Parts: sequence; C-alpha cells; structure tokens
Amino acid sequence: MILSDLLDQPVREADGTPVGYVIDVRFVLDGPPVGPLATPRVHGVLVSPRTGSSFMGYERVDVRSPALLARWFAWRHRGTFLVHWQDVAAIDEDGVTLARDARRWAPGYERPAPA
Amino acid sequence: MTIARKTHDRTTYEKDAPQPGRVLDARLHLLDRQLLDVDDVPVTTIDDLEIHATGGDADPVGGPAVLTNLLTGPVLGTRILGGRPPSSRLERIAWSHVRAVDSAVKLGIHGSQLDATWVERWVRDHVIGRIPGGRHDPE
Repeated sequence: MILSDLLDQPVREADGTPVGYVIDVRFVLDGPPVGPLATPRVHGVLVSPRTGSSFMGYERVDVRSPALLARWFAWRHRGTFLVHWQDVAAIDEDGVTLARDARRWAPGYERPAPA
Repeated sequence: MTIARKTHDRTTYEKDAPQPGRVLDARLHLLDRQLLDVDDVPVTTIDDLEIHATGGDADPVGGPAVLTNLLTGPVLGTRILGGRPPSSRLERIAWSHVRAVDSAVKLGIHGSQLDATWVERWVRDHVIGRIPGGRHDPE
C-alpha cells in the first residue's frame, strides 16, 4: 500500500459514523533489523475530527512556541486521537473503517531525550 | 463529509504505552525530508512511503505491517491537481539502506547506486557532457 492512499482519508466507526480524517501514520522502530536501523512497524493512525491537514504536529507534541501558532494549531486539531493499527478494520475507496471495539489513545508520544 | 462535532472535543484520552523503539510519524518525520547519501550529498526527497504486511502481502490491513520502501517520483503535478502518480512511476529506495533519521534522512549507500538519480545521470552523460568543457571541473 502507498501511504498517500491512506493519508487524508475520511475515517468512520464500524457503524458508519464519521469521526474524522487520517492526518498521519505512526511507525515504531522495533521491527527486525534489516540494515543499520530496525524495520518501522506500523503502530497506528492519527485521526483529527476536523481536517486532514496537520502542521508541525502541534496537536501531538509538547512544543508551546511560538505561542500564538501553537495554540491555534492545537485548537484546530483538538480531539485528535490515535488508533492502533490492529483496530483498523478496512481501508477502501470510501476511506478507513475502524473495528467495532476500536480504542482511542492520546496522540502524544514520548520524545527521546536530547543527546 | 460533515463530521459530527460532538466527537470528543474535550475528552482526554489515555496515554499510549511507551514504545520499545523510536517513534516516527510519517508526515512529521519522513515525508518531504531530504535524502542524503553516504557522503551527505543530496539525492532526492521522500515523496511517499510504501507499507506491506509483515508476510510481504501488499494489503497491510488486518495484521502487522511494516514500512518497506521510501518512494520518490514525479509528484509535483499530482500535488497541485490531486491524486498520485501510478505506483510504477515511483522509484523505490529500500528502508534497509537508511542509516539515520534526523532533520534529513541519511542513506548508507551512494546516490549513484539508486535508480532515483537516473535522470540526473542521463542529463550529465548525454547533455552536459557534450558541451565543450562539460566533462571536467572548472580550471
């Protein structure tokens, strides 16, 4: 699958209720090593209730400056959540359908400490 | 499509469990990043990504999936007009060639080994190289 077929797609719950749009796809470098790095495992999709666009990830990181932009983008993407990949039931031309018991997680992640 | 506005605006979701490896968000950390080869020479930019099921199946839904290739190609037109180029027009750079992900994505091989740079090499050999003085450094 090409990732642009998934990004910006509408997301629906199992009963057809629209819940938002895919704004990003999260990978975790914990797969088997295939070179200098581990294979990125698809961890989940980030869903914004309002728009498919996302700028600098303000809604999922703790960056708070410049304050005006940070507050605007955090507000614009309020309600953004993460759905684990195993909770994605189907992807077709109509968008993404979540599993019936799909659980929503906070979109943030722990950033590595600066070296 | 109208999205129901009741959707959990003020809901605080539970934090995801800490992950055993580095977290990379496609748009935030990979897409549109510069690709540098082993000598830090710019090669191209990452226009798209390809994912497969861990068993190699092209359809990754329904089970574990992994990122397999970085894609680059003629995307300017489709970014303006919508859609994406056919899969066959995209050049693939295997993830196994990636040695670091930073503000740029660094490869462990030379750019000349990649199909992604064939246009540049063709222009060098067939156009620039035929201009008098085009085959050596300025003196």
